[in-house]
Amino acid sequence: MSERALPPGRPRWLDVVGVLGVIAMGFTVWLGLWVTPPDVVQGNLARLLYIHPPIATVALYWVGIVAAGGSLLYLWPRTRSLFWDRLAASSVEVGAVFSALTLVTGSLWGRPAWGVWWTWDARLTSTALLLLLEIGYMALRRVPAEPAVRARRCAVAALLIAIDIPIVHFSVDWWQTLHQGGTVLDPGFDLRVHGIMLWTLGLGFVAFSLIFVWLLGVRYQVEVLQDAVGDQELEVSLTERWSEDTELVGVGAGDPEPHPGRGAP
Amino acid sequence: MSYVDAGYAVALATLFVYAVGLVLRRRRWERALRVSEAPVAEADGAPGPGERL
Repeated sequence: MSERALPPGRPRWLDVVGVLGVIAMGFTVWLGLWVTPPDVVQGNLARLLYIHPPIATVALYWVGIVAAGGSLLYLWPRTRSLFWDRLAASSVEVGAVFSALTLVTGSLWGRPAWGVWWTWDARLTSTALLLLLEIGYMALRRVPAEPAVRARRCAVAALLIAIDIPIVHFSVDWWQTLHQGGTVLDPGFDLRVHGIMLWTLGLGFVAFSLIFVWLLGVRYQVEVLQDAVGDQELEVSLTERWSEDTELVGVGAGDPEPHPGRGAP
Repeated sequence: MSYVDAGYAVALATLFVYAVGLVLRRRRWERALRVSEAPVAEADGAPGPGERL
């Protein structure tokens, strides 16, 4: 499949999303650090929970939906387009950043709450595995190959990575873990958080989701530009090759003398 | 610095640095595309594959 990459424009809506994301993030930080009261049980440590679950939500669900969805749509013959491949690849790279942040912010919460930076808990281990798999995906993408071959290979890899997402999600139910269950909803789907704390957490989800969309959009533009430059370089190489061929044919046609290496007939 | 401050600082700083890095990568690739388009435009007068003989 040959699908020429066209240099992307810079859609206005993406800038709007970025600005809204920064504003929402500013309000989240302000509410989370200065406005919300300390938690009865956790004290000020609960303020980390205004950013940790939103970051984990992006790392797990938004990235998972875009990467697995894009890969499926690429593999499906009717919807096959390098657009889906590029979108999935962009999502995985942004997802790796969010996965790393999930582990770091969780670790910074776990040290004072649990007394350890790290433990081989099912939720933590499966999240770390997700980060490693995402790094592996990015390494696989750097292996030189035809765009279609690379896209098919990466789509399969992304679907394999996606298997880890329900494992991360249900790990707290399937195994006895140190990590607590749902942060926002309890098993009966009743809210665990209320009032200004709930609004701050909700705004955190919105802020990190908007930032994710903006990062995904810019990363996608980089992906398209990389492919466009690759196409141009290929075109230049072919043009140079054609020019060399033409010169050789021209020299051969206008040269009545036999080539010294070939000998006289 | 408390664990809370450290968590916010790490999260915001990482996202900021990654975002700036992405914008710089986009700018670099846009420049590379402009540079790589120039030889193609110059070579437009060169014969194509169907014109070689």
